[in-house]
Amino acid sequence: MDLFTALQAIINGILTGALYALVGMGMALIFGVMRIVNFAHGTFMMLGMYAAYELFLHTGVNPYYGFPLVGLAMFALGYGIYQGFLRPIHGKSDFMQILLTLGIGLAITDSIQLIFGADYHQINLPLLEKNLHFGSHITVNAPWLVSFAIALVAGGGLYFFVMHTMMGRAARAIAQNRGAAPLMGIHLHRVQAFWFGLGVAVAAVAGSLLLPVFYLYPGVGDQFTLKAFVMVVLGGMESIVGAALAGLVLGVAESLTSLYWGNEWALALDFVLFLLVLSLRPGGIFGSQRA
Amino acid sequence: MKRPYLLLASAALLLSLLVPLVVRSDYMLQVLFRIYLFAALGLAWNLVGGYAGQLSLGHAAYFGAGAYGLALFTRAGLPIWLALVLLIALALIFALLIGGVSFRLRGPYFALSTIAFAEVLHAGVKNLPRITGGDVGVQVPALFQGHVHRSFYLCAVLLTAAAATATVVISRSRFGYRLMAIREDQDTALSVGINTARTKLNALLASAAFTALGGALYGSLFLFIVPDQVLSIDISNEIAIVAMLGGAGTVLGPMVGSAVLETAAELFKNVFQEAHLLIYGILLVVVVLFLPEGIVGGARALLRRRAAKSRGTPA
Repeated sequence: MDLFTALQAIINGILTGALYALVGMGMALIFGVMRIVNFAHGTFMMLGMYAAYELFLHTGVNPYYGFPLVGLAMFALGYGIYQGFLRPIHGKSDFMQILLTLGIGLAITDSIQLIFGADYHQINLPLLEKNLHFGSHITVNAPWLVSFAIALVAGGGLYFFVMHTMMGRAARAIAQNRGAAPLMGIHLHRVQAFWFGLGVAVAAVAGSLLLPVFYLYPGVGDQFTLKAFVMVVLGGMESIVGAALAGLVLGVAESLTSLYWGNEWALALDFVLFLLVLSLRPGGIFGSQRA
Repeated sequence: MKRPYLLLASAALLLSLLVPLVVRSDYMLQVLFRIYLFAALGLAWNLVGGYAGQLSLGHAAYFGAGAYGLALFTRAGLPIWLALVLLIALALIFALLIGGVSFRLRGPYFALSTIAFAEVLHAGVKNLPRITGGDVGVQVPALFQGHVHRSFYLCAVLLTAAAATATVVISRSRFGYRLMAIREDQDTALSVGINTARTKLNALLASAAFTALGGALYGSLFLFIVPDQVLSIDISNEIAIVAMLGGAGTVLGPMVGSAVLETAAELFKNVFQEAHLLIYGILLVVVVLFLPEGIVGGARALLRRRAAKSRGTPA
């Protein structure tokens, strides 16, 4: 019996972890590859949730169909934020990037609170009541399964895009040597803006997929910023696959921690893992190199 | 310190101490208390974040150690003076632990690890209700009776004066120059024989002690604290923003920053109630884009340019 409880927790962890993985992959693009320290990542995820919520409220479009639209809008926002704010401080210290993105995150989160209030929202989909039973002990909530499938496809697509397109090649070239890449004809800012926008879009898509199963409030993204950093560091800076795997690991670890020690320790566990990896194995669990 | 500056500083301190003779409203005194408190916290942060150039976003750990230290040590039956000594010791222990690990990391990893430590502490305090009162919170003893707002205000002024004095002394000492060398280039600092780990840690110890005293003062004013109030990342952010806004690595900066930020936040709070973080965010973005040296640094550059112009030489 106890074994099934643990198994159930692991399955739940993997399902949550897939959405974490998407958030983490977005951060891996922005921080791991482009070296932009993005302290507003969770804020963008939260914005994605609100966008999906408004879309559902006004047009009835379910987030499972509406997410590409949310992603597209957030890509444009991310592109604009890079060109308008991050590009002018290009070449300055990380310190400045951290403060800038922190400021952008605070301003957006509080604007959302001013516009929509601090109340919790939730949407009601008929799908939420569907549960799939495996054997007599294991139950999987259908929306989580749908999110998991979409996250898997989106993550796979992203990996393909990074590995097999010119834009992806340009990004990897910048990651390898940001001094030489522009000399090889790569338009640094255009490529960086594109991938920053895409990273933001991926976080927002994860937000849309989380909307049906999460409560929505202005601060919902805050913990995801830190979690995303944890995933990127755990996965090994430049590895998008590493970040995705780290997302799954985090999901399962949190789920098991909640089961045995209580929900509150789950977040603390993330940070303990993070500190351990940073001090003992700075290349990440899945990565081998460290720039 | 040159004599005119010393005179000016003494006059400012005297004037600040005389303010309660004129200002009688509790509300105004509370706003002023907050300005001085965050000036002191910003000055403390400045030793690490400004002079040594290490972006700590986890100063809530020391702030919380101060507030919770006062509450828990007095609850255990210790007298207040002993609690004050012990809470500083507690903050120093945290600083040793956090600094020991975090200072081995650089850039964004350092900032992230300081956040991680503060959040682990935050979660720990929340989850150990038997010791800390958990989410429900814990009572903090009153440091003063009678005219509390006046006493708290005066205490904050004195704390700011102490932190500013320490900053002036440090910034003119060999220790201060070592910190600035680390800020400019850590590898070069190391190569000329500076023990960078030890130097950074010493700065953090001084910073943590002042921050803890500020936390104790803050907790005692509210008489009751919860983890989300004194250990939240918002406190860490506010402390860093105050120093950056005014000008990191300057003595005046954190004080100017606190005056501007806390006044702006207070005005904003009266209009929009809870949304004062919006103003923090906007100010941060403006500072990074247009005033990277902060208000004081920006003003100094302006004065220098003007002086150069009147002399007819390029700046």
